[in-house]
Amino acid sequence: MHRKPWMTTLLLAALCCGNAWATQPDDAATLTVRGFGTLGVARSSSDQAEFARDFSQPKGIKGGQWSGRIDSVLGVQANWQATPQLELVGQVVSRYRYDESRVPEVMWAFAKWEPDARLALRAGRIGADFMMLADSRLVGYSSLTVRPSTDFFGPLFFSHFDGADASLTVPLGNGLARGKVFGGTISEKTPLAVEIWDTSGASTRGLVFDYLTGPWQLRASTAYVEYSNDIQFARQLAITLRASGAAAAAADALKVAGTTTRYDSLGVAYDAGPLQVQAMLNSIRHEAGLLHNSHAGYLLAGYRLGALMPYAGVSWWKSRLKSPALPNTASADLNREYDQVMGVSVADQTTYTLGARWSLCRNTAIKLQWDAIRGSASSRLPLPHSQPGWNGRTDVISAVVDFIF
Amino acid sequence: MTLRYILLSLFLMLLAPHAAADLVVVANPKSGIERLSQDEVINIYLGRYRRLASGITAEPVDLPGDAEQKLRFYRRLVGKTLAEINAYWARLVFSGRTRPPQIAENAEAALDFVAARPGALAYVERTQVDKRVRIVFELGE
Repeated sequence: MHRKPWMTTLLLAALCCGNAWATQPDDAATLTVRGFGTLGVARSSSDQAEFARDFSQPKGIKGGQWSGRIDSVLGVQANWQATPQLELVGQVVSRYRYDESRVPEVMWAFAKWEPDARLALRAGRIGADFMMLADSRLVGYSSLTVRPSTDFFGPLFFSHFDGADASLTVPLGNGLARGKVFGGTISEKTPLAVEIWDTSGASTRGLVFDYLTGPWQLRASTAYVEYSNDIQFARQLAITLRASGAAAAAADALKVAGTTTRYDSLGVAYDAGPLQVQAMLNSIRHEAGLLHNSHAGYLLAGYRLGALMPYAGVSWWKSRLKSPALPNTASADLNREYDQVMGVSVADQTTYTLGARWSLCRNTAIKLQWDAIRGSASSRLPLPHSQPGWNGRTDVISAVVDFIF
Repeated sequence: MTLRYILLSLFLMLLAPHAAADLVVVANPKSGIERLSQDEVINIYLGRYRRLASGITAEPVDLPGDAEQKLRFYRRLVGKTLAEINAYWARLVFSGRTRPPQIAENAEAALDFVAARPGALAYVERTQVDKRVRIVFELGE
């Protein structure tokens, strides 16, 4: 492979000189096209499990090999401001996705209507509002770390939904209160163990409440997802169990279609001058017996020193195991398979993060990051494809160039 | 007379950098507002809430690129570098949540915009303020 440092230099120069963010002050309809991207490599020390960015990725990285698979992304967004109140937004992103391709996906495609400065209504394909500071988890330039916490955001298997949201912002006390309601259907696929789980047709609805005062932002949110499809390998096992006379409760625990998951989260962010601190806690409760309830959290702090911003964080994700229904079949193999399937969503790990973001120029940042993952051997998520002998520990080193244009 | 002239010149030389470093936020006299608090200016410029107390929608105007005035404005308002402000807007723009301030070519164009629009706001040097606009917030040195 030929190295072409001049191409990198040209690319960086173009990005550093670009000024695509300028919009002229007038009332005419305007079309603005912007983009973002990340060129990144990462390596994970363990060869007994793969480190993936989130649930959307079918394969991760392992065995100490450097790879550009998990973090590299390119996105383009067009905003058409039709009138001062009406805006159309479309965003297409190429990333490593469930089918191992980088086929571009439509992430957003919505119309936004703001009848006044307090109310915003959006309809179409909209980002799921899980992060405190952004809807998209893919715009590396906009965030402090290389990627959102895998422990906290990894389980959020969808990034957009087709539906609508409405948000109202009003002054309250010394700050601003913002409430948002949203609802719609999910149309994404996610790799899970040995199959691609098609979650199409699942519905979501929820509420988000933010309070902003000075450098503080407080958040509370709740969201429901109701599934329409079973996980196929679990469904097949349930059929086999029923045919073999297993306890009905054991087969029922494998059913996902028609069940709901509830996500609750609390967050706080402090951003003043050179200091940034964020912390969030969540609780995920599943009706399906197959999916274990869990709680997760993260704390992240960074301090700017000139153009450099060192940061440190800790995050964790821990399942609360449900009492398993025993299949009690005559087949030891079937009983063992049931145990394996019931263990597929177990998570028990803590990640310690150290890194630095260097603002190379106005539109480009370079980041180096070390994640030390320390989990239990029983932890199966969020690291896919764990092998016998997996001890729950790996170290991930990442180097990325984030840019916008 | 010569001594007075020299002293006056020295005084003006000392005053000039001071005046040039004095940033203010200006609004249209028809905006219905006399003053803005620092939190209100932050909310308007960071796209959190763009409604003036008079009920008019605020239309903040920014300066392009790495303009020195822009750098000083954000450093004094929120203690942030332009790279941080750019990252902040990347978060919001690529979420489709809100729009960054419109960009004027320079301070004169920003003043023209404020003079023409009841809800418009701009930051300029105090020495650039003219009768068409009203000072509603002073960032100081």
